[in-house]
Amino acid sequence: MLNSLLMLGKMQFRQYSIYKSNFYLFTLNRIVEIVVYIFVWQEIYKETGEAGGFTIAQMITYYILVFTLSSLATWGVNEEMSYSIKNGKINKELINPLSYFQYYFGINLGELAFALLVGIATFILCSIFWSVSLPANIINLILFVIVIILGIPITFFLQMIVGITGFYTNSIWGMQILRKSVISIFSGIIAPITLFPNWFQSLANILPFQELIYTPINIWLGQMPLKEAIFIIIKQIIWGIILYIIAKKFFNHAIKKITINGG
Amino acid sequence: MTKIIYGIKMYFIFFKASLKEMLIYRLDCIVGMVSQIVTQLVELIFIWVVFQNTQSISGWNFMQILLLYGITLISIGISDLCFDELYQIGPEYIKEGEFDKILLRPVHPLLSIIGASREFTALGHLLLGVIFTIIMLIKLAIPITFILILKIIFFSIVGAAIIGAILTIFSIASFWTYRANEVMWSFYKIYTFTQYPIDIYNKFIKILITIVLPYAFVAYFPTLNYLGINYNMIYLSIVVAIVLWVIAIKVWNWALSKYRSTGS
Repeated sequence: MLNSLLMLGKMQFRQYSIYKSNFYLFTLNRIVEIVVYIFVWQEIYKETGEAGGFTIAQMITYYILVFTLSSLATWGVNEEMSYSIKNGKINKELINPLSYFQYYFGINLGELAFALLVGIATFILCSIFWSVSLPANIINLILFVIVIILGIPITFFLQMIVGITGFYTNSIWGMQILRKSVISIFSGIIAPITLFPNWFQSLANILPFQELIYTPINIWLGQMPLKEAIFIIIKQIIWGIILYIIAKKFFNHAIKKITINGG
Repeated sequence: MTKIIYGIKMYFIFFKASLKEMLIYRLDCIVGMVSQIVTQLVELIFIWVVFQNTQSISGWNFMQILLLYGITLISIGISDLCFDELYQIGPEYIKEGEFDKILLRPVHPLLSIIGASREFTALGHLLLGVIFTIIMLIKLAIPITFILILKIIFFSIVGAAIIGAILTIFSIASFWTYRANEVMWSFYKIYTFTQYPIDIYNKFIKILITIVLPYAFVAYFPTLNYLGINYNMIYLSIVVAIVLWVIAIKVWNWALSKYRSTGS
């Protein structure tokens, strides 16, 4: 089974590599976004000297890492899912020997591989223009990677939930944008969570999104006591299980309602 | 001159036709508008967070930045509404062979394509922009005179024309690659630089957004005028728009002469 998942991932990844120009353009887009954030913060630091416990060097690293990781946090299989629902390709996916979830997990792996590539390219290009602080030490780097890997099931099952709403509505375009916006707001893509008001911080603490961006970057920067790492990991596993159960239950209910277009 | 008037008349006929086409998909349109507003929320939260930590960005306070934001959104809304179809030249018109049909029409192909724009979700941007502009004008105690309203409407259209010209120039990439929409989008996105006072940028970016891709004339210089900071730069916007369109049409016609049909 694992082999067929990896094969699916590979196929999805190849689709992207046909269009090499995509890769350069995605990276270019990312850098355009980074420029605005970094120049705005530089201007603020000129006046205040400090914000949310970050120095300007850390803040610049923060945003560069945000755009390194944000594709991993927000890209995925939703476009693919809604496309198959719209043109009826979904009937083949449902009778696959692989389950619907497994099939899309395989595809998701390919998407993430491409997202990772764009992320790394963004990171390398940015480190030419700005000075990036490297991880505090090797343990931080390992933890950084672990937290990011544990985020994959969370984003995946969330996408499945959003995708399955398409069984009812046929179009998940709006939900998809909502998903991306919620992740952007609560994960720390917009700004470090410590800069938000207290009520927002406690909300973000409960939700599973800050572990996608904010927490790993803080680990990288050495801003987080390593003792807390175990709690973070437990939190991520619990959220992964919760979202898995919701997605499975939702799928079992939705599958009875589905109408197949065209067929 | 009669040719130009004929062109403008044709444009509005095309525009009306695509408006009718859009009304078939009312629900999609509403969902699209709402989601555009949600997307904008992300940017607004950034501005808000920034001002939790500072009083001003290079002399601009929160409300002034939001006025600039609103004025930018109006122009962006208009340009998305009117020029969206340019993105489709590569992936739709040329790839599907639709472009050959358009060449046979007795109007300029660029006009046919721009006239087919029906990105009515852009009304979400426009609406949000108008709301922000009005609220911030009141909060900043800028008297809303008839002349100011006319000025904002006129220069928002000029701003949209500037964006449209830039998109037209980059749309020629469609004649070489089907995926030109991605190229155009990358250059279009640079407008976000001008949602903040351009003094925060270094020299390279300043030259980029005032001369190379003059997005600063879309909303930034007009807003300086409305705020009473700099009265004159706004009028250069008209010159910039005209010059850009002359270049755009020249470049587009040149690219068109290189066009070979896909034969499909």
